[in-house]
Amino acid sequence: MRIFICGFGTVGQGFAEVLASRKKFLSERYGKDIIIIGAMDSRTFACDPAGLDPLSLVSRKKETGKVGGKEYSDPRDVLSECDYDVLVEVSPTDIKTGGAGLGNITCALERGKDVITVNKGPLALRYRELMDLAKKNGCLLRYEGSVGGAMPIINLCTEGLVGEKITSIRGIFNGTCNYILSKMDKGQPFDQALKEAQQLGYAETNPTNDIEGYDAACKVVILANSVFGRDVKFDDVRITGITSITDEAVAMAASRNMVIRLIGEVTESKLEVGPRLIPKGHPLSISGTLNTAQIITDLAGPVTVSGRGAGRTETASAILSDLIAIADRRLRTDGKSLHL
Amino acid sequence: MIVNAELFVKDLPGQLVGSLEPISLLDGNIVEVVHNREKIVNHRICINVTFEIEGQEQLCRLKDVWKSKDIIISRLGSVYQTYSMEYMLIGDFDGKRIEDLIGEASGIVNLDATDIRYSSKAGNSSMRTAMVAVKTRSEEDLEMLDRFLDRKCRESGITYVRGV
Repeated sequence: MRIFICGFGTVGQGFAEVLASRKKFLSERYGKDIIIIGAMDSRTFACDPAGLDPLSLVSRKKETGKVGGKEYSDPRDVLSECDYDVLVEVSPTDIKTGGAGLGNITCALERGKDVITVNKGPLALRYRELMDLAKKNGCLLRYEGSVGGAMPIINLCTEGLVGEKITSIRGIFNGTCNYILSKMDKGQPFDQALKEAQQLGYAETNPTNDIEGYDAACKVVILANSVFGRDVKFDDVRITGITSITDEAVAMAASRNMVIRLIGEVTESKLEVGPRLIPKGHPLSISGTLNTAQIITDLAGPVTVSGRGAGRTETASAILSDLIAIADRRLRTDGKSLHL
Repeated sequence: MIVNAELFVKDLPGQLVGSLEPISLLDGNIVEVVHNREKIVNHRICINVTFEIEGQEQLCRLKDVWKSKDIIISRLGSVYQTYSMEYMLIGDFDGKRIEDLIGEASGIVNLDATDIRYSSKAGNSSMRTAMVAVKTRSEEDLEMLDRFLDRKCRESGITYVRGV
């Protein structure tokens, strides 16, 4: 199976490293190698039908700031020229327009290629259209890492809990906000906690998407569409961020044995992101940068999952799980070969 | 659930405490007690107590305890389930504003009990926090209250934090 990676930042490089580390496992599982035949960053690309060495790509990117030796102006031209089976789309997220990722995913699906992405923007803005396009062209669009990073939630709901009626999902879907609120539990003012989160690399220089709840809202949209079969968009989410949470509000919650956490909530009719009062000891009262979600089902009852919501290797692990699902399906159902 | 009970206890010292203590021991919460010394039947005086208790199982245990203490249960009524929720409101407001808001809410939702606590204004900041605990008789009432408070807070620029 031949992979093209769009976006060679932290996650793209992490995935290349994970693929290299799982080379033996994959070749034993499928009897053939899974290879990277192309990689693209914001300006350059590399392509070789015989396969590129994942670790060499990472080294080149680190040393030169470029993944390839050739420059491009339109990524669609590159994606149209290279022959691949699966597009791994991990370019930077743009939740206003969908950014380059939306074009890349659309281009691949139009050509009948399977796509794996962790890019929230295209999914939050055009989920239904993209899924319809994938269905029309007989290919798969998988996106486990787009919600909760390494925390397995989408595939858990759509595959592991497929026989259940899921009535609600509530969770902590933004590690940055959870880190800030956890620090406020210990008496740190909001501004100081945010600054510390930025210094540790948990928050961006411009933290708006995190602290205003936009990032969590994207994930809520993805869950609503994928798990509940709804047809909603980012603008449908009722969003409240954490910027107006004061020290004394946190202290007052603590005096009642509660904490404040930014919770995303999805049901058949509800679509919300906002600060919530959580009793201490409740599964959603966790501290730090972890993501967690509580899935309420009719047969199994409440199912709680937790995991690292971001990170180079963690997000790559979610991409790997999607890749294996695609490879398994190719071998199992339609007899497609792995095209090696 | 909220329960109202009419009990008859012997007219002896310590009988009032003896009838109320089991409620607390079963994690119940006493809402109101009327010790009616005027109503005496067979040398027993009447106690009317309203209390909150977790469920039927706890209520049955309480009834057993009362019987074992020779307390006569003459009436057990007004039993209903309550649903509780806590809300936090953060913004530039005074106590009257929040009390008016809850007053307005009680016009559209049947509120069984409300408890409002405020933080004091800190330093130069005009921001204040109010913690509102309510009890209603149905989940639908809680949902209606949630929609009402959410809408009112958005209109007033108050941050609204709901419990789960």
